[in-house]
Amino acid sequence: MSETFEPEIIAFVCTYCTYAGADLAGTSRLKYAPNVRIIRLPCTGRISPMFILKALQKGADGVLISGCHPGDCHFTHGNYHARRRWMVFRALLDFIGIPPERVKYSWISAAEGVKFAEFINSVTEDIRKLGPFEQYTQLIDQAKAPASL
Amino acid sequence: MSIEEQYRTRAKELLSGGAVKMVIGYGKGSNASRRRPIFISSADDVERLVLDDACITNLSGYLVSEGLLSDEKRVAVFLRPEGIRAINILAAESQLDADQIVIFGFDVAGNEVKALKGIHVEEFSDVITSIKESAPEAAEEELFEKIEKMSPQERFSFWQEEFSKCIKCYACRQACPMCYCRRCIVDSNQPQWVNTSSHTLGNFEWNIVRAFHLSGRCVECGNCDRACPVNIPLRLINHRMAEEVLGAFDHFAGTSKTQEPVLASFKKDDSETFIL
Repeated sequence: MSETFEPEIIAFVCTYCTYAGADLAGTSRLKYAPNVRIIRLPCTGRISPMFILKALQKGADGVLISGCHPGDCHFTHGNYHARRRWMVFRALLDFIGIPPERVKYSWISAAEGVKFAEFINSVTEDIRKLGPFEQYTQLIDQAKAPASL
Repeated sequence: MSIEEQYRTRAKELLSGGAVKMVIGYGKGSNASRRRPIFISSADDVERLVLDDACITNLSGYLVSEGLLSDEKRVAVFLRPEGIRAINILAAESQLDADQIVIFGFDVAGNEVKALKGIHVEEFSDVITSIKESAPEAAEEELFEKIEKMSPQERFSFWQEEFSKCIKCYACRQACPMCYCRRCIVDSNQPQWVNTSSHTLGNFEWNIVRAFHLSGRCVECGNCDRACPVNIPLRLINHRMAEEVLGAFDHFAGTSKTQEPVLASFKKDDSETFIL
């Protein structure tokens, strides 16, 4: 019996809400899946779609993006801009064949430590079920291989 | 008098009176079915202008050439409706002053060329509205629908096959009137967002970024598609993006010169069904 697949997940979060929410989850001693690597950014508006592509390029099985609820942005409307961008980017990934299940979005406030822990757990479980992103990792391996002459 | 002759006469008048400093139009190409862009600045050369159903390239991209419009003189250009939409977008994105552009509008139905009335972009708003209402289909509607019906794995394989052909020549970028950035993201190497080698991974990234940057801006003129030396159906991705912004934000690119760019604006009640 092979070991259970442990997905690697990258989370891009805004520092004012979701990062604080993650902190709350930690200080509340909530246990959640250790598969997530959190990258803290000033605002969801700073999360360029390039980050998502970069995470996939480096072999992530899934990507999470999370920030302040609408209306709560520290910079007043960074998350509104981000929301439009994601809407379009999501459709693009879907059309290209990158399953939308691998890139998840959420609003998690600084008070929602429990939501953060649950979100991480449910996404990790979902991506574990999907398995490694083989189609993409094949491309990564090809790119690493020396050029054939 | 044919439209070709009418437009030649008009070009002659504009050039000899000094109303415009240049006319950008179509001239004969390397064979009977091809046309190439020509740049006329003397009234004596207007006979070189050709206008027929083979004039398909969107010429609006030449207007943002460095220094062309900086002397505040006017430039005339032959444009199809897509080209006129492109002018609106470029003006909305502060890349040019629409008042400097004199439009020779035309459209092709079947193989008949018809003139579009007007000189400045504002005068073509009815034409653009009617295109929006007619909800144009993708250039290769059958293939488009086939892709839409595929599973994500099949779609990935389809595009993998297509993108594996890409040689990263960036002809799609050069041909696109909307790709005017002085420094494109693929040319940036600190950080290097996109793999520059033409392996399939890098090709995926490049084509995703290209399509994303054109979301809500593409007018589907098909310049990229025709420029692609390996015939990747780039237009289909752009069409999908245009559909998305139209459906989600009721945004039809290039309806007016003051239209807010879709990804630089927002509404508080934008859809967010996908956000947990």
